[in-house]
Amino acid sequence: MNKKLSLKNAGTFLVFGGPSIFAFAAVVIIPFIVGLYLTFTNWDVRTGDSSLIGFSNYLEVFRDKVFLQQLWFTLKYVFFTVVIANVFAFFIALALTRGGRGEQWLRTGFFTPNLVGGIVLGYLWQTLFSQVLPYLGNKYGWELFQTSWLTNTGTAFWALIIATAWQLIGYLMIIYIAGFTGVPNDVLEAASIDGAGRTSVIRRIILPLTVPAIVICIFISLSRSFLTYDINLALTKGGPFNSTELATYHIVQKAFLSNQYGVGQAEAVVLFAVVALIALTQSYLLKKLEVES
Amino acid sequence: MKLRKAASFAIALTVVTGLLAGCSKGNSANGAVKEEKGETPAAEQAAKDVKLTFFNTSAEVNTVFEELFKKYHEQNPQVTIELIPTPIGGAQLEKFQSLLASGNPATIVNLDAGTILQYKDDFLDLEPEKAKYEALTNPGAIDGALLDGQFLGIPWTAQGYGLLYNKRAVEEGIGGAFDPASVKTRDDLEAVFKKIEASGKAPVMLHGADWSLGAHYLGLTYSLQSQKVEDNRKFVEELKNGQVKLTENPQFTGLMDTFDLLKKYNARKSDPLVADYNRDSADFAKGAAAFYFMGDWSWAVIGTLEGRDTDFGILPLPVSNNPEDFGNTQVAYSEPKLFAIDDSKSTPEQQEAAKAFIEWMVSSEDGQKAIISDMGLSMPYKDLKAQSTNIMSNAVSEYVKQGNIINIGVINYLPQDYWAKTGAAMQKYLVGNIDRQGLAQEVQDYWKSYAGK
Repeated sequence: MNKKLSLKNAGTFLVFGGPSIFAFAAVVIIPFIVGLYLTFTNWDVRTGDSSLIGFSNYLEVFRDKVFLQQLWFTLKYVFFTVVIANVFAFFIALALTRGGRGEQWLRTGFFTPNLVGGIVLGYLWQTLFSQVLPYLGNKYGWELFQTSWLTNTGTAFWALIIATAWQLIGYLMIIYIAGFTGVPNDVLEAASIDGAGRTSVIRRIILPLTVPAIVICIFISLSRSFLTYDINLALTKGGPFNSTELATYHIVQKAFLSNQYGVGQAEAVVLFAVVALIALTQSYLLKKLEVES
Repeated sequence: MKLRKAASFAIALTVVTGLLAGCSKGNSANGAVKEEKGETPAAEQAAKDVKLTFFNTSAEVNTVFEELFKKYHEQNPQVTIELIPTPIGGAQLEKFQSLLASGNPATIVNLDAGTILQYKDDFLDLEPEKAKYEALTNPGAIDGALLDGQFLGIPWTAQGYGLLYNKRAVEEGIGGAFDPASVKTRDDLEAVFKKIEASGKAPVMLHGADWSLGAHYLGLTYSLQSQKVEDNRKFVEELKNGQVKLTENPQFTGLMDTFDLLKKYNARKSDPLVADYNRDSADFAKGAAAFYFMGDWSWAVIGTLEGRDTDFGILPLPVSNNPEDFGNTQVAYSEPKLFAIDDSKSTPEQQEAAKAFIEWMVSSEDGQKAIISDMGLSMPYKDLKAQSTNIMSNAVSEYVKQGNIINIGVINYLPQDYWAKTGAAMQKYLVGNIDRQGLAQEVQDYWKSYAGK
C-alpha cells in the first residue's frame, strides 16, 4: 500500500516537475558540467583538438592581471549598482504605495525599462551620453556634460551604473511594493496613533518587516549586475581602451576573440564562485534580521 | 460547477493537443532533413532542393545580399539561400565560432581572410576552381587572396584606405586649387593643415575606434616594413620574439610622428574617443573637416547622404619627410573579405550549389551590379558590367593601376585580437594617457604574449 502510494507520488511528481527538471538540466546543469570539464582541457574550436591539461587554466586565471583588475572593477560596479538601484527602488515603491492618483501609471512607467532589452537600452544610453548630453552641455555651458561620459574611464564607470540601475529599479520596485503590502495595516495604524513620525515608521516598522523583500532584491540585483554583459557591450564596448570591461565581457573576449576557451571558461568558473559566495553570504546574514509582525 | 469542470477539461485538452501538434511538427521537420540527405528513396523530388546558409560579416550590406539571394532563387528555384546576419562592428566572430562549435556551420561564409586562414581545416580547398578565377580577375588578385599558398576563399571586393579628402573643403581652406600630388611629405601635409586651420575649418577627422587606430593606422607599421608580405610576416615574428625595438624602427616612428600631426589638427580634439562612425563620416562629407583617415568603404555611409559634397579623393598617408620613402606615394590596399565554403558539415550537393552561386554572384550582371552599384564596393574583376558610383574607390583604383599600393596582406596572418588590444594602446596614446615610449612598450608586450604561437 505504502509502496504503491510513493510510486504514485513519484509519477505525479514526474508529470508536473519532469518538464522543468528536464529544461533546467538541459540549459543549466549539463552546460555547467561540460563547462567545468572544458576548464581542464586546452580545447580549440579552430582545430577541434582537446587534451586534458589539469589545473593550468586556473593558474593562468590568477596570472591574468587584467582579469583580476577587471574582477575588482566589477566588484566596485556591483557594489554601487546594488546600493543605488535598491535605495531608489525602495523609496519609489514607498512613494507609490501611499494611494495617490496615477500610481498605476507611474508604476508601469518605472517598470518599462525592464522590458527593454539590454542591448537596445545600451544603445539608447550611448546616444544620450555621447550625443545628446554633450550637445546640451556645449549649448548651455554645463561643464559636466561637455565631453562624452563614455570616453573617460571614471565617467564611463558611472554611465554603466546609471544605465544598469535604471533598468533594475523597476523590477526591484515591484518586489518592494509587494513587500510593503505585506506590512499589516493595524501595526501602522497603531504606530500613527502612538504618534510615530514618518521616518520612524519607516525605520522601526516598515524596514524590519520588509527584510524578506530586501533579501530577494539584493540577491537579484547582485546576481544580475555581476552578470551584466549586454549593457556593457552596447554602451561602452569595454572602452575607452578596455578600461570598463566587466568580468563577463572580459571572459567573452578571452574565449572568442583571443581563442583561449579553457582560460575563459576557468575565469567564468571563478566568477561563478565569487558571485555564489557573495550572494549566499548576504542572504544568510540578512535573513537573521527577519522579524515577525 | 459542472460547467467549470468541463471548461477546465477543454482547456487541458487544447493544451495537450497543442503540445502533440508541436511534437509532430518537429517530427516532420526531421523527416525533411532526412529526405534532403537522400536517405528516403521515395523523396526523389525533394532531393534536388538545396538549402544554403550564408554567414555575412559585411553587415552594412545585409539587405543587398538578401535581394541577391531572392534573385538567384527566382532563376534557380531549387536553391534556397538564407542569410545569417551579424551586427555591424558587433560580435561577428563570436557568432561564427558558436555556429561552428555547435556543429551547425554556414555553407558559405563571407569572412576576413585572416579568419578563414585560422579555420582553414573547416573550409573547402578551391584549388580546382583556381584557373577559372584567375581568368576572371585582375592580374595578381588571386595571388593576393592565397592563404599560406592555398586557395581557400574567393575574393570579391577590394578596399583601399589613406587620407580621404573633401575637395571643396580643402580648396576653401587653402584658398585655391588643390593638387593631391603636391603632398608628398609630412611637412607638405602640415602646411596644408595649417592653412585650413587658419581659415577656421577643422583640418582632419581622426576616427577614434580601436579598429581604425589599431588595425588601419598602427597596422601600417607591419605593412610598411617591405613591399613583400613574407618580409612583413618575418618582422611580426621578430616582434613576438622581442627582437624589435619599435622606438628604433623608422616606419613606426615615422607613422607616429604623422599621428601626432593628425592628433594636433584633429576635428575631434576635445573628445577624440567618441568614435561615432556615421557622424564622423557625415561631418567629413559635409565639409566640417577637410581630411579623414578612413577608406573607400565609407562611401556606403557618404554616398546616400543628403546635403553632402560631391568631390572626394584620396591621398597616401605621408610617413616621413623624404618623398622617396615607401608609403608616401602609396595607398593601403587589400582584398579584405573572401567567400569560402564549409567543408566540415556541408553535403557535396550543397558545396556544388555554393560554388555555382558564388560564381554567379561575382560574374553575372545581377551580381556585379549589386556589389558595385548597390554596395558601392570595387571588385578586383575584369570586364565589369557595372559602373561604380563610389568616387573614393575610383580614386583608389588609380593608385592600383599605377602599382602604387601598400600590400597589407600581412594582417591575414595576425592573431584575431590584435586590433582590439593594440587599438586600446593607441586610444591611450591619443588621449595622452601614455607617451610614445609607453605605447611602444604596450604594443611590444602584446606581441611578446604571442611568442612561439
